[in-house]
Amino acid sequence: MPNIAVFIEQRDGKFKKVAWQMLSEAKRITAASGGEVWAVCLGADPAAEAAKYGADKVFTATGDSFGIYNSELWGAALAQFCTAQKPDLLLIGSTAMGKDLGPKVAAKLDCACISDAVGLTYEGGWTVRRPIYAGKCYIDVEPVTDLAVVGIRPNAFVLEEAAGAGAVEAFTPDLSAIEPKAVVQSIEAGEGGRVELTEAEIVVSGGRGIKGPENYALIEKLADALGAAAGASRAVVDAGWVDYSHQVGQTGKTVGPNLYIACGISGAIQHLAGMSSSKCIVAINKDANAPIFKAADYGVVADLFDVVPALTEEVIKLKG
Amino acid sequence: MKIAVCVKQVPDSETRIKLDAPSTELDQSSFTRVLNPYDAYAVEEAIKIKEAGSDVEVVAITIGPETVTETIKKDCLAVGCDKAILINDPALADADESALATVLTAVLQKDSYDLILFGIKAIDDDSGQIGIMVAEKMGLPHVATITQLDLGDGTLTAHREIEGGKEVVTAPLPAVLTCQKGLNEPRLPSLPNIMKAGMKPIDKLTCADLGLETPAAKAKIKMYYPPAARGECKLVEAEDPADAARELARLLNEEAKVI
Ligand SMILES: Cc1cc2nc3c(=O)[nH]c(=O)nc-3n(C[C@H](O)[C@H](O)[C@H](O)COP(=O)(O)OP(=O)(O)OC[C@H]3O[C@@H](n4cnc5c(N)ncnc54)[C@H](O)[C@@H]3O)c2cc1C
Ligand SMILES: Nc1ncnc2c1ncn2[C@@H]1O[C@H](COP(=O)(O)O)[C@@H](O)[C@H]1O
Repeated sequence: MPNIAVFIEQRDGKFKKVAWQMLSEAKRITAASGGEVWAVCLGADPAAEAAKYGADKVFTATGDSFGIYNSELWGAALAQFCTAQKPDLLLIGSTAMGKDLGPKVAAKLDCACISDAVGLTYEGGWTVRRPIYAGKCYIDVEPVTDLAVVGIRPNAFVLEEAAGAGAVEAFTPDLSAIEPKAVVQSIEAGEGGRVELTEAEIVVSGGRGIKGPENYALIEKLADALGAAAGASRAVVDAGWVDYSHQVGQTGKTVGPNLYIACGISGAIQHLAGMSSSKCIVAINKDANAPIFKAADYGVVADLFDVVPALTEEVIKLKG
Repeated sequence: MKIAVCVKQVPDSETRIKLDAPSTELDQSSFTRVLNPYDAYAVEEAIKIKEAGSDVEVVAITIGPETVTETIKKDCLAVGCDKAILINDPALADADESALATVLTAVLQKDSYDLILFGIKAIDDDSGQIGIMVAEKMGLPHVATITQLDLGDGTLTAHREIEGGKEVVTAPLPAVLTCQKGLNEPRLPSLPNIMKAGMKPIDKLTCADLGLETPAAKAKIKMYYPPAARGECKLVEAEDPADAARELARLLNEEAKVI
């Protein structure tokens, strides 16, 4: 019976939503196959939420080592946890922190490491489904080691409350031998305020069709009305209209929100690669032949300068 | 100072995947292969350090078949790397990230490098694992996803992209870095330099030369699938943009239930 450990990421005591999504999926799996779901958190106590999403046990380690993120300390702590508790899987969200930790822990434990998964099945052994070539193809991967570290893409799994005992067990990793070499000196907030792209449930992106940096505000207004993140095509980023952190695509962020609204984006293969796994795709483009319409569920063939502000108003009305 | 840049040849980002039904194999015969775009940032950063300093040697290291040589010449040697090491071993055809990291570690340990640069991820497997794994295997510090690098005396300060901002990280050398877009603007090779690149050395090695048994993969690909097909696009037709917007909002709210 598989025991699944789920890393509950926190920064400043704030937990990442992907953690609850992973717990939900782990609970669905163990409900069918038996085994337990373990929440593992460094530096904060997630017991209340973790139990709500089905964690059978909650392991927390606290102390000075878990203030600001440090890959060497946190990686060692998670590796020690796995050595002691022997979960079958360690799930880690594919976030900036998770992408840093997963390979580190897997290399320490010399076990399989599978990145950015969107599906997990257990039938005596594990099958992990993940996109490659930025979503142009999917693969099923089977780990051959007893433990596998699996990165999970935010929003891949549906959040679902489930009863879990949530029994809290403190664990005390021994980090006395580690003097971290790479150290975070400070964290600088970016432009901030808005939802982060890779975690967002809705993304509104602007392409070259917005014509200039001043018009990106149209995209941001619609995003704000929807509580969405604001993305961009590479054309917009390379023109210097918005920061690279907004770029969606093969060489930008990969996003898989419930709703993706592409405004003035032609739909180049490299852009589609980064957003085609979105559950619902809307294209607003004045060229009816733009390839983006082939990838979209809903389309409006019109000038974005008319439609986007009007849509923003409609959304405000709907939400109001 | 000695810098290693680990690079991979990958299918060009325009590549279309030919796969109509689930299959245990993927036809890669029509792929056009190029340098992994993220590795170009790593190469560029190494060359910038070489140009800014004195006595800096830059070595490009890659695991791949013989056919990667052209990419190495054009995109590494012709833009300023001094030499290249190619590990060509058919036994590595099914290697996973962990196995490749083991081989790269063996290559890197044959020499002493002050900085080891990687791309954040290869755009074919999209894993983003190897740089971090190599750092761990070598017992070196790493900073992943860097968008700025400043070298001091035996130390470095790097900016690392995180959600909604960045971390400013310091580390002593030697260190491993994985490079993100924003770090620099990779240069293009000039024609004369492409010609001259042919004269720069490329060492060719196998696992046996490294005294290494071929490391086994820890995860195996069982099946390839095409992405789920999408239905027809529903066009919202309306003369007036305001009407179109209203109808679109209604569809997203009532039909797709996403807002
Ligand atoms: C190695 C490599 C990696 C790449 N990686 C990425 C990536 O990660 N992400 C990415 O996005 N691209 C990437 N690209 C670039 C990609 O090929 C395209 O060039 C880019 O996506 C085009 O951006 P765009 O759609 O905004 O611009 P365009 O292709 O110029 O399209 C603009 C669209 O706006 C429409 N339009 C214009 N005015 C209006 C209006 N008033 N109202 C409505 N519609 C309007 C036009 O009809 C057109 O369809 C990459 C390319 C390469 C070679
Ligand atoms: N075959 C390879 N040879 C040398 N370096 C590689 C190879 N594959 C990947 N890398 C390096 O590791 C990085 C991350 O790759 P990956 O973990 O496969 O996404 C790449 O950007 C390269 O810098």
